[in-house]
Formats: sequence, structure tokens, C-alpha cells
Amino acid sequence: MQIVKKRNNISNPRPAKKIAIVGLPNTGKSQIFNNLTGDYTIVANYPLTTIEIKKARCRIGNQLYEITDTPGLHCLYIHSEEEIVVREMLFAEKPDVIIQCIDANRLKQSLTLTADLLELGIPMVISLNVIDETIKRGIWIDSSGLSRLLGVPVVESMAVYGRGMEDLKNAITNARRGRLGFRYGEIVENGISAVESELTEHDGYKRKLSVLVLMQDPFLEDHLKKGCDEEKLARIRDAAREVRRQFRGNISLAMNNKRSRWVDDVAEKVVRKQKMAPGEFFQTFASLCRHPVHGIPILMAIVFIMYLLVVNVANVLAGWMDGTLWVPVQNQINSRVSAGFWNDFLIGDYGVLSLGLANAFITVLPILTVFFIMFGILEDTGYIPNLCVLTKRIFDRLGLSGAAIMPLVLGFGCKTMATLTTKSLRSKRERYISIYLIAFAIPCAAQMGLNMSILGRMGAGAFAIAFAVLAFVEIVAGVVLNRILKEEDRSDFIQELPAMRLPSMKAVLVKTYYRLYWFLKEAVPVFVYAALILFGLEKTGILEAAKNALRPVITGFLGLPLDMVEGLILCMARHEAAAAFIIKLIEKDQMNFIQCIVAVTVTTMFVPCFANIMAMIKELGAKSAITMVVVINMSAFAIGGVLNRALVGLSELL
Amino acid sequence: MSRKVMKDEYLEKLWNMKENEKRAVDDLKSLINGNLNFDTIDELASEDLVEFIEDSGKITLTEKGKDYAREIIRAHRLAERLIYDVIGGDYELAACEFEHTITRELVDGVCTLLGHPRECPHGMPIPEGECCTHSARYIETSIIPLTELKAGQSARIAYITRACDQRLHKLDSLQTRPGAMIKMHQKYPCHVVECEGVNIALDNDVASSIHVWKESRHFQSIANERKRLNERTN
Repeated sequence: MQIVKKRNNISNPRPAKKIAIVGLPNTGKSQIFNNLTGDYTIVANYPLTTIEIKKARCRIGNQLYEITDTPGLHCLYIHSEEEIVVREMLFAEKPDVIIQCIDANRLKQSLTLTADLLELGIPMVISLNVIDETIKRGIWIDSSGLSRLLGVPVVESMAVYGRGMEDLKNAITNARRGRLGFRYGEIVENGISAVESELTEHDGYKRKLSVLVLMQDPFLEDHLKKGCDEEKLARIRDAAREVRRQFRGNISLAMNNKRSRWVDDVAEKVVRKQKMAPGEFFQTFASLCRHPVHGIPILMAIVFIMYLLVVNVANVLAGWMDGTLWVPVQNQINSRVSAGFWNDFLIGDYGVLSLGLANAFITVLPILTVFFIMFGILEDTGYIPNLCVLTKRIFDRLGLSGAAIMPLVLGFGCKTMATLTTKSLRSKRERYISIYLIAFAIPCAAQMGLNMSILGRMGAGAFAIAFAVLAFVEIVAGVVLNRILKEEDRSDFIQELPAMRLPSMKAVLVKTYYRLYWFLKEAVPVFVYAALILFGLEKTGILEAAKNALRPVITGFLGLPLDMVEGLILCMARHEAAAAFIIKLIEKDQMNFIQCIVAVTVTTMFVPCFANIMAMIKELGAKSAITMVVVINMSAFAIGGVLNRALVGLSELL
Repeated sequence: MSRKVMKDEYLEKLWNMKENEKRAVDDLKSLINGNLNFDTIDELASEDLVEFIEDSGKITLTEKGKDYAREIIRAHRLAERLIYDVIGGDYELAACEFEHTITRELVDGVCTLLGHPRECPHGMPIPEGECCTHSARYIETSIIPLTELKAGQSARIAYITRACDQRLHKLDSLQTRPGAMIKMHQKYPCHVVECEGVNIALDNDVASSIHVWKESRHFQSIANERKRLNERTN
């Protein structure tokens, strides 16, 4: 028993209380985080949107809080690497309050985690999210009953619309330790006490740690090693072994079973279902989207609609902005600065304003705006995970089992994020293949939008050919890697598919705003520096020399105009800059149908963006990552050359 | 403990040792919790069920002993499947009694009822019986792998194989576990099922490890019985 009161809490008061937001994947954790802190992290209707822990501060009443947003977690018994980050955070930081986000439609699934969190003994609040949808589904949840059963505040909310936030803030100040309404059997409880007695206060969460020890959590020993010496660890192991011997059965399963019955019991008491569920349009639509026959036309229709909007809205918008915003500026400068060095510096081929700012704001921004709005809608409907189902067979051929599919599909959003989500793959081989494939021929959202805009100028045929080639290349790469790399254990494919819903327009616009803001913040300086560098290379004559040296490759092998050398240099800095440069070449009539296709396929594959390379280094180590980048670039050129030959040959035949 | 039961326990432990490629008499000693009864061993040896070489301390099953032990193990593990997954009781205690009292015909009956499971809840292999190889074609089984459901059909989960795998924890966290209702939405390009209001995509491997009751009134009543039993224990 502790008689001496710890004084360091009094003498050294903490300025901010810590709140951790945890919950199953896709339950609105980031949305609650955004609502509480006024900060913004990307939210979408699918799992794995958040892959790293994020912190921000906010004030509720007079108390300052530090709020942590976390990736999804199923329960404290860990299945995969990305979940361990969350558990380690909880163990290490010992938050003062936990907010558990629960999707009210999936209450039962979340209660398993609730049981685990209650066992930690941290004051808790439950945010029962998407409560509006349960009503439509004919489900009613007795949230005050739930609160009574668990002994913690339960707040109903519709996080996307910001409803229920005041209640949540009140609940945070009233957060309290809940009670877990079940005990394990006698043998297990004795075992828990035996392991507990070996742990010290310093280890924290003694009961939960002991439970995990008995369940033989595969990652727990690493955690214990931090605080225990070898001797203590051996005693813990012995205690656990002794319990397992006494129990004879599969103890971990039996403990799970106890918890499951508690979950059933709680759900039974608080959930009321109408016998007749209303017919659900979205449910039907979702099943059509992943249907092998209807799914493909739906996917093609979605891509085609996006294509049409980029070509007919974004390109027109960009043209209008060019005429009304850029041309007057150009004229003004021409009338004030006579042709020569300074004119070139500002608005020449490599001018800071023309190649730097105008490309970013006038050429790229309108296209990205239109594409990001559409992509945001697509994300928030929850359509994207359905692609996992449609493409499953293809991925099987590529030697990728289930778990790798989601990261690859996410690559169409942001390749950097997708690379980081490969953490969830247990097989090293699969991780390697998927990181390669993500970096290789998958266009990220920005690249996709710009590719549509470029190819749209040449007609839908060009778009179809270029993407067919990219898909083909990707599949071949997968098959080849599959052959080369040694077979390992495959990981399971168990993918939860989110319910489809009508997106909130406001949420989509906010997301688009932030994506564009981040693009401008990160990319505009790069655009300007790249322009300055090209300007310098041009004035010193290095550019000319480089062009001459590369002429056989660029014009001969790839069949592109020689100016594409600048395009490729820009591509190394920022893919959007290269795309804008290609658009300018098309406007100057320097690119034909075939050249456009080749240029787009080469730039899509060429050097993944800087952030993506950093992510690759993080996941694979510098050596593998750099080898991969080199191989990708060489293949990009080789494929571009072959494609050029093939297309030229074909056009001569026709 | 009667002598037969004691002998059976020894044979069972020796089978476990065979599975783990152990043959030292000390291993048997630790499995039996300390006190080896050498009379029993002598008796087993005289019946030509085990071979015990005192000098090297090696103890193994003879061919005859293997056949005998195989039947016990089969009964034990099938009983675990039945009692633990399907009825939801405390399987270990009951299964130990079950294996000594049951006839081979009854074991085959249970095996067929359960759709010839390949593993016990611990993930240990269940030795095949005659029913698994031929009768299976003639007697209709009551439990089928999830993959055999047609799109649109629903069924209650009876058991999931590979109990020791992390797969089970993952499925459990999605509420996909014995007793839950599961609905097959589509089977191609991969399986999509609905369980507790959530759609889940599964590959073939995972889907075929989930076994479900073929819908019929008789087995529904067993499932209801199980539920009632749960409620009472709570």
C-alpha cells in the first residue's frame, strides 16, 4: 500500500491535460480532432486515412488540453504494426482522458475495444458518432443506458456536421473511470494477480499488462523489456506459463470469449432494432459497385465523368484565368521592361513569374481544384475501398495477398501516405512489392487530374491508351517482382468495407481547401526555385549542353521534343511543374498525339516525388529505396522508348 | 481415476509427444504433472502399446499404440470442437470425460455432424476417421464452410478453424465468431459478407476457415439452446 503521497504532482503541475482520441478505423477520430482543435487533418470515409499520431492543443473552459489523434485500433491485443503505435502511445504517455470514437452503426464491434480501454482504468468519454445514420437504418441506441452500464459519459454526435461538440466538451470535463462488468474465471484472475505482483507502478496499467501477458500478445514482450530486466521478465514468463498449465485450455481464446459475452450482453441491453430495416439505396449501390459485372462499368463511368469534368470545366477555367489574369500581367511587363535579361527573368521561357508563379496558380491550381473536389466526394462516399474487392483477383496474380490491396488503392490518393500504410503488412516481401508498385505506375490524385487535363487536349483515346499502358506496366512489374522475390507466408485479407453515404458538401470543400492550401504552401516555392535553376542553367549555357547530350535519348529514343529535357528536370522537382510544362508545350503546338501519351506515361513513372522517396526510405531503408528509385527511372525511360516505337509503328500501319 | 482412464491419459500424452517429436520419459513426466505411475507404463508395455527403454529413458508408442491413441485424440479434439464452439461450454473438462466413454460410431457421427473439421480449437490436427474419407459422400453434413453458401444466403457461424492464429482475434474484433449470423453478399472476385451490420471482404482462405450451420430447424434449436445457456451463465 502506498502511504507516502506522490508530491511531484503538486510541486510540478502539468500545464496541459492529455486527451487521446482512439477508436476503430473509420469512426471519425480525425473529424472529432479537427472539431475540437480547429486544426485540420485529412478525413475520409475509409480506414487508414490517419496513419500517424498527431497532436494539437485546445482550451476547454479554463483547462488547457493536449489532444492526440491516432490511427485506428481494434483492441489492445495487437494484430499489426500500425496498431502498435497507438498502444505504445497510450502506455508511454498515460493520457488523462480517453475519448473513444464509436460509429453508432458498428457499436458492437467497438465495444470490444471499450472493454480493453476500461481495463486500463483511465477516465473515459464515449463519442457515439454518425448517430443520424442509425435512425435511418431502423436502429435505436439507448445512450444513457450505455453510459449507466459502462460508468462513463456517452455523447451522441454527428461529427461531420460538428453537432454534439458542446456535449462532448462538457463530458470531457466530467470524464471518469468506468467499470468493466465482468471478471475472468478463478484461475485466470489468480494468474492476473500473480503477474501483477511482478509489475511495478512504473510499468503502469498493471491489470491490462497482465491480461495481455496471459493472452500471449506477440508484441508485448518488446514493451516489457523497456522497463524490466531479464530476471523479472523470466519471473513474469514463469507466472504466465504456470497459469496456462493449470488452465489446460486455450486461455487466450477463453478470455476473449468472456469479453465477447460481455459485449453481447451490453449490446443486447442498449440496441433496439426495428424488425423491418428500410430498403437502403446506398447499401444496394455499394453492392453494385463491387459486383464483378456491374462494378467495372460503374468504375469506368466514374473515371470518365471525372475526365469530362477536368477537360470541360478545369481546362476551360484554366484558359479563362490565363486570358483574364495572366495575359494582362504579361502585357504590362512587356510594355515596361524591354526585352533582355530582366524580361527573360520575369516572363521568359524560364521566368520566375511565368514558369514559377503562373504555372502554379493559372495552369495547375484550377485543374487540381476541380479534381480534388471530385476526388473528395469519391473519398467521402466510401466508394474507394470497394475497389479492393473488384481488383482482388488481379492482386492475387501479382503475388499480393489481401492486406496489400488497400495501400495500393490508397496510392491513387497520395503515394506518400500509401507508402506509409504498408506498415500494416506483415510480410516483408509484400511490403517491398507494394512499395515498388505504389512508387511506379500509379498516378496520385494530383498527377491523375493533370494527366486527364493533358491527355484530354488530345481526346479520350489518348487518355484510354496512356492509362491502359500504365495499368499493363504495373501488372507486368508486379508479376516480375512476384517471380523474383522469395515466397513467404501470405497475410490474410480481412477488409472492412465502410458504409456508403452521401458526402457533406461542406466537408468536401474544407478538405479541398486544405489540399490546395498545402499544395500552394509546399509547391509554389519549389516551382519558383525550379524556374530560377532552369533560368540559371539556360543563361550559363549548361542547359544547351545538356540538351545536346540528351538529344539521342529524348528525340531519338523517346521521340519527344527536345524541350522535354526541361520537363524532366521540372519533374524531379515537382510532378505538377512538369505537367504544367507539358501543357505549355501543347499550347505551343510542339506535341502531337503520340508524344503526349509518351510524355505522360514517362512523367507519371519518372522519379516519385520527394516526399514519396522519403517515405520509401523510412519503410525500406536508404539502400533499398534508392535502388528502387534508380530501377524505376530506368524502367520509365525504357518503357517510354518502347511505347514510342510501338505507337509510331502502329500509326504507320493504320 | 480408473485404470482404463489412466492408461488412456498416458496414451494421449504420448501422442502429444509424438506430435512434438519428443520421446524422453521426463517429457511424459512433466505432461502428466509430476507423478509417473510405472505400473501403468508396464501394463501398457505388456499390452504392446508402448515401447519403453529404461536405459536411455526413451518412451514411444508402438504401431498398435498409435492406432489406439489416434482414436482417443480424435474423440477428444472432436469433442472440444463440439462442446466449445457449438454448445459453448467449458470444453476442456468435458472433453476429457467424453473421450473415454464414447464409441467409434458415435465419434464418426459427431465428426460428420461437424462437417469433418480438420483442427481442434487449439489448432491441433484432428486425426482423420473412416467417415472423413468415404462416408462423407453419402451422409449429409450439417456444418459447411462459408464458401459453400450462395450469394444472398445467411447462416450462423458454428466454428472457425486455426484458433491460435491472429486471424481469430482479427475476426473476433469484427464480431465474426461462433454464434454470430453471417450473410453472404457476393462470392466473386472475392467474398463479401455481412456480419453485425458491417460488410467485410474476405479472401478464399479466410472464408473457408469459417464454418457455418446449414440452415435447418433442428440446428437452429441447438443454436438457440446455446444462446439460452450463455444467458444463464451470465
